[in-house]
Amino acid sequence: MMKILFVDPAKCTGCNRCTYVCSAVKEDIFAPEQARIRINNFPHQGFSVPSICFQCPNAPCHKACQFDAISRNADDVVVVDADKCTACGDCVEACPYGMIELLNGIATKCDYCDGDPACVKECYTGALVFQGKTPGLLKLKGVQMKQRSADGSPQEKRVRLGKAILTLTRG
Amino acid sequence: MNCFVDKILFVDLTSRQILTAPLNQEWIEDYWGCWGLALRYYWDEVSPTVDPLSPENVLVLMTGALSGTLTPLSGRMCLVSKSPQSGTVFQSNVGGGISNELKFAGYDGIVVRGKASSPVYLKIEDDRVSLEDAGDLWGKGIFETDKLLQTAIGSEEAKSLVIGPAGENLVKFSCIGSEAYRQMGRSGGGALFGSKNLKGIVCRGTGGVRVADMGAFLKTIDHYKKTSLLDEENLWAYTDGTPILMEATNEMGIHPTRNFTAGMNDSIQPLATDAIKAAKLGDRACASCILACGKFTDVNGAQMEGPEYETLNMGGSNCEVNDLEQVILFNRLCDDLGMDTISCGNIMAMAMDMTEKGRKDFKLPFGPSAEYLKVVTEIGTLSTERGRDLAQGSRWLAETYDSQDLSTEVKGLELPAYDPRGNYGMGLSYAVSERGACHMRAFTVFSEAPLDLDVQARDVVDAQNLNAVKWSLGFCDVWANISADIMADILSVGLGKTVTAAELLRAGERIWNLGRLFNLRAGITAEDDKLPQKILNQGLKKGANDGRVFSAEDFEYAKQTFYRLRQWDPEGIPAIEKLAELGLDQY
Repeated sequence: MMKILFVDPAKCTGCNRCTYVCSAVKEDIFAPEQARIRINNFPHQGFSVPSICFQCPNAPCHKACQFDAISRNADDVVVVDADKCTACGDCVEACPYGMIELLNGIATKCDYCDGDPACVKECYTGALVFQGKTPGLLKLKGVQMKQRSADGSPQEKRVRLGKAILTLTRG
Repeated sequence: MNCFVDKILFVDLTSRQILTAPLNQEWIEDYWGCWGLALRYYWDEVSPTVDPLSPENVLVLMTGALSGTLTPLSGRMCLVSKSPQSGTVFQSNVGGGISNELKFAGYDGIVVRGKASSPVYLKIEDDRVSLEDAGDLWGKGIFETDKLLQTAIGSEEAKSLVIGPAGENLVKFSCIGSEAYRQMGRSGGGALFGSKNLKGIVCRGTGGVRVADMGAFLKTIDHYKKTSLLDEENLWAYTDGTPILMEATNEMGIHPTRNFTAGMNDSIQPLATDAIKAAKLGDRACASCILACGKFTDVNGAQMEGPEYETLNMGGSNCEVNDLEQVILFNRLCDDLGMDTISCGNIMAMAMDMTEKGRKDFKLPFGPSAEYLKVVTEIGTLSTERGRDLAQGSRWLAETYDSQDLSTEVKGLELPAYDPRGNYGMGLSYAVSERGACHMRAFTVFSEAPLDLDVQARDVVDAQNLNAVKWSLGFCDVWANISADIMADILSVGLGKTVTAAELLRAGERIWNLGRLFNLRAGITAEDDKLPQKILNQGLKKGANDGRVFSAEDFEYAKQTFYRLRQWDPEGIPAIEKLAELGLDQY
């Protein structure tokens, strides 16, 4: 069965190790701002919500690209062809979750590390899992995918998703 | 440079000048970061006789050598300065994300000098650094200030160090808060910020930290994560957090109860680890930490990350308030006003004892009462006479109201939650620490021979040196079984050059000796390395150590043994040969 990245925010401790290891394996530096996964931390409420790329069906980033730089690969992962990317930023604007950004002049997003995501291996509590679908996990994903933003910067979109999940969880 | 970002920020509040300078390369391998490097910078900045609350005093904030990397539990940041509470040099540290965030902004540390003419906060956004007006923030609590500073910088991910009303009011045991529930708790850091009209520091960093060989570094981290960190010796932090110590210290008979009268609390259950688990909403971690010892709790709508063991004991058992909701409310008030829960709880218990014994009627009984929470606000805001009295600390209360027999402090810093009468190592450690009664310098609580003076003196020296290394690389206390070898290996791979365990431990020894030299010049002598009368003379009640004291004779033997092991003379002065060996003989 095809494996998918799922998030269970209730298990996230806000350690941010996923962001550190992501930037380490992708960019050779510990720099959460360059990670393809982000954590929205709400320390006052004791809550953290990971922002991930959902590899959306009918991905808005894919549809927005006028240069054929974004495609879906055999593993159903949405990937960027760096050679074709013109850094126009249309995909960044189109993504409702703030999960594709320009980094060093190229649209950059999560690619599941070729089927072995580094972030999942660093997640000790199981807030991030990479596995086949289950009804429970699909439900969690469905709730998260409903938190779409039509405008704002990638960070603003992520924080909105985080706050919405926080409110749904804690009231 | 690998691991470091090679820049120190110098902020002069008087002239409002902000400068940067490269990290002093000569000091790195002698002091490494955080505690050690901050101490070395501080040594150069002030005279040891400086008045802690004067503009001439300086604050040095430093990240750990490994902060900002994936190294687990490596995100501590240290403050070194002179304490308004003890008049000694001190180091206080905090977790959360501030240490890593500062490195991502491009700074290994910050040196703060002078005094602003009106309230300001320091705003750091990568290379854009400014002093901003904090007039509107002055008087606000830590929780609200933290939020407002995030708004001011425009990022929910900004991290801050801020003070509350207690720090503004120069309360001696005021603290510095970060991310609402984390603190540089002890020694009065809040008053140091307050004395400089510095409401806080807010930081957002978008850069990163490099290591010599990323692949090798990740492998090394993974290896020690599996072979050392995720061991039974540490996993209590994940399953229970520090509240697990409630029953542990109670069984050992070293659980301060009723102002250090008894060594066990018969009614501990409402405050014990199972009660915390029942109230838990989730586990919380500092940046880069796997263990997530923070337990976010809710009791009847009162929510917070915590309470931790020290607060459960000092605000709970020691005040005979065996009520979790009350202790959570006490904790939240302290966190928001910006006061150290250890000193505050200790002092309140002493005031309860004084009230009961008729020394001074603070109208503050042991046990839950309306006064228990009321007095916390009165202390932080100095709004009543008893609040102003208690804000002076236990040493002042003892001297003013002739109550030496009821106080528990060393060098003006109140005792934490391990009674030395049942663990002589903790007593020795309190007495000889650079800042007074601190439990973080040498933690001998789980020693198999807690009453063997020779074993304890040796253990205290070894633990002090090792912990000075841990705190300098940015590690947290909770990785209990980390060795100098492991630290040296991680650091070597990160730097791309070999550092040995022996070199690190020598740095640890250097830190203790340099701190000692500072304190000697500040007028602190062997006479000040002492324990409270109560510990020496009054038998502990109840539990495993019923009737036991740490006699003056035993204590003196332990202290002299400790001095000898350190190659310090009977007056606690380091031998010149020792200083020469550590490269400190020019001082």
